[in-house]
Amino acid sequence: MALVLGFLSAAPLFFAVGVNPILAYQQVLGVFLSVDGLTESLTRGIPLMLASIGLCLPFKMNFWNIGAEGQLFMGAFAATSMVFLLPESPAFILLGSMMTMGFIFGGVWGLIPAYLKARLEVNEVLTTLMFNFVAILWVDYLVYGPWRDPEGFGFPLTPMFPLNARLPWIPGTRIHAGLIVGLISAAFVYIFLARSRWGHELKVTGESRLAAKYAGIDYVKLTLLVMFIGGGLAGLAGMGLVSGIILRLRHGISPGYGFSAIIIAWLARLNPLAVVPVSILFGGLLVAGDALQIGLGLAFATSLVFQGLILLFVVGAEVLTRYRMTLSLE
Amino acid sequence: MSLLAHTVQAGTPLLLGTVGEIYAERSGVLNLGVEGMMAMGALIAFMTSFYTGNIGLAIALAMVSGALLSSIHALLSISIRANQIVSGLAITILGLGLSGFLGKPMIGMIAPRLASFSIPILAEMPIVGRILFSQDAFVYASILAALVSWFVLFKTRPGLNVRSVGENPAMADSLGLDVYLIRYVCVLFGGLMAGAAGAYLSLVYTPLWIEGMTAGAGWIVIALTIFAGWSPLRAVLGAYLFGGVFALQFRLQAIGIGTEAPQFLLMLPYLTTVAALVLTSIETVRRRIGVPGALGLPYFRGES
Repeated sequence: MALVLGFLSAAPLFFAVGVNPILAYQQVLGVFLSVDGLTESLTRGIPLMLASIGLCLPFKMNFWNIGAEGQLFMGAFAATSMVFLLPESPAFILLGSMMTMGFIFGGVWGLIPAYLKARLEVNEVLTTLMFNFVAILWVDYLVYGPWRDPEGFGFPLTPMFPLNARLPWIPGTRIHAGLIVGLISAAFVYIFLARSRWGHELKVTGESRLAAKYAGIDYVKLTLLVMFIGGGLAGLAGMGLVSGIILRLRHGISPGYGFSAIIIAWLARLNPLAVVPVSILFGGLLVAGDALQIGLGLAFATSLVFQGLILLFVVGAEVLTRYRMTLSLE
Repeated sequence: MSLLAHTVQAGTPLLLGTVGEIYAERSGVLNLGVEGMMAMGALIAFMTSFYTGNIGLAIALAMVSGALLSSIHALLSISIRANQIVSGLAITILGLGLSGFLGKPMIGMIAPRLASFSIPILAEMPIVGRILFSQDAFVYASILAALVSWFVLFKTRPGLNVRSVGENPAMADSLGLDVYLIRYVCVLFGGLMAGAAGAYLSLVYTPLWIEGMTAGAGWIVIALTIFAGWSPLRAVLGAYLFGGVFALQFRLQAIGIGTEAPQFLLMLPYLTTVAALVLTSIETVRRRIGVPGALGLPYFRGES
């Protein structure tokens, strides 16, 4: 319902820029009703899925990690550095080490703000936010500087990865093995949250840090653990981007996947299983942005408008249901 | 243009935005939507200037557009008590999206821009005259705004009300203050200032419309707000310090230093902010600066 309203409320905007809204909606529907559109939505959904699953964990304990974007960039950086270090090794060794290092670097990039918050009460919203820009600039430094492809006509990108650094993909599409990693992570994090002791501790801490303290829960350990896994998953998203889709590291590998992931986690109510379809939907919005750009000459930013409107309507709808609940109670 | 004059120009949009965000946060509302409000302000100012040629109207409408976006955040985070982080992010995404979407026809256009004017006698002063008093009206207005808002916040009754609402809303409420009204006013003021900051970008600093031209300035505003310890006076210092980093980076590049790795210079504002955050987390410093106690927490009347 909120989804439909979010879409429809964009209609006057299309009029404003002189585009027939019906044509625009045709383009958007075309994405979700065609095979090509759907497979591409899945492809774009993979990094969103991984980063967003990673966010479900810290958000559950009220740790507001806004840094998935930076953790994703650090993962992409670490994965690329393995390609430089082990260019000749067999695919399973190279890919394995790219995934491991991508996870570790994304995780460590999440650990620093986690440590600052847990030990010194430094506001994590701001530190994770700042770390995004540092990570993006770090990758920019590499692709504009030491890692720049000498045969790349001066463009800020590394040389193309060799085939052994490329994740397996489904022929005819751009869907790559990152999807399997995403689905496994969703299941793993779901079980972790629902069944493990840590999952229970997360929920208690999220409800009240004071109660958690009385229950003997180690806040520092829990925060570090959660942010390492969460950051690591965002790092895997970055690894999947460079190894599965872009096939090199370059300037601007992400159009804000890490930020959209926050919205997705929120819309999925922090349920990792629900993250999967919502990510694919948001992947579709990105594809729709491309389609509107090519088909109707609109700005790619259209997909951001959809994202923003949908989120606002969902938050609004939540309130309506809340009020209805209080009414029926009385 | 001299390095220091450039510093002041680069710092001005940051100062405008920061003064607004300080009020929002002092009243207890974190607004992560600054980047979106600035982008919207930049576009609306440029479009108005393009179609009407009226700079005054352009600035006014830019401020209104910022305020409109911030009113969504106010409604969601104050009345509806939605999560402030998610709501603020939605504002940023919506502002960036809308400005890119509506601004497509504006790319590559040229619109009337705001000219600088010297303040007669003061501009004759050595050094300071050229840096501070040969600028445009925005620069003077932003410094004035910082001074006035510092005075209001710390030396007047309404300012005390804002701070008490941000520190302990339940107490403020019991003393007869209208918590919701005060928070609304502060968040809307933040939107007005962010809109003005955007107008500065597209009318003076880079007199063009480019999608995403705010380039993270809105996030630096969030950082500066903490860096300045929620004081409009320290915000002047902080804004020019950060502005100086940008100006210095351009200058060094022009003479060939730092062309190898300008990214490290660009990291400085973010790293210094993290350092400032760590510093302000130390309890004694925290108490002296006065971090708003209820920052980011929605207020439920009749609870707690």
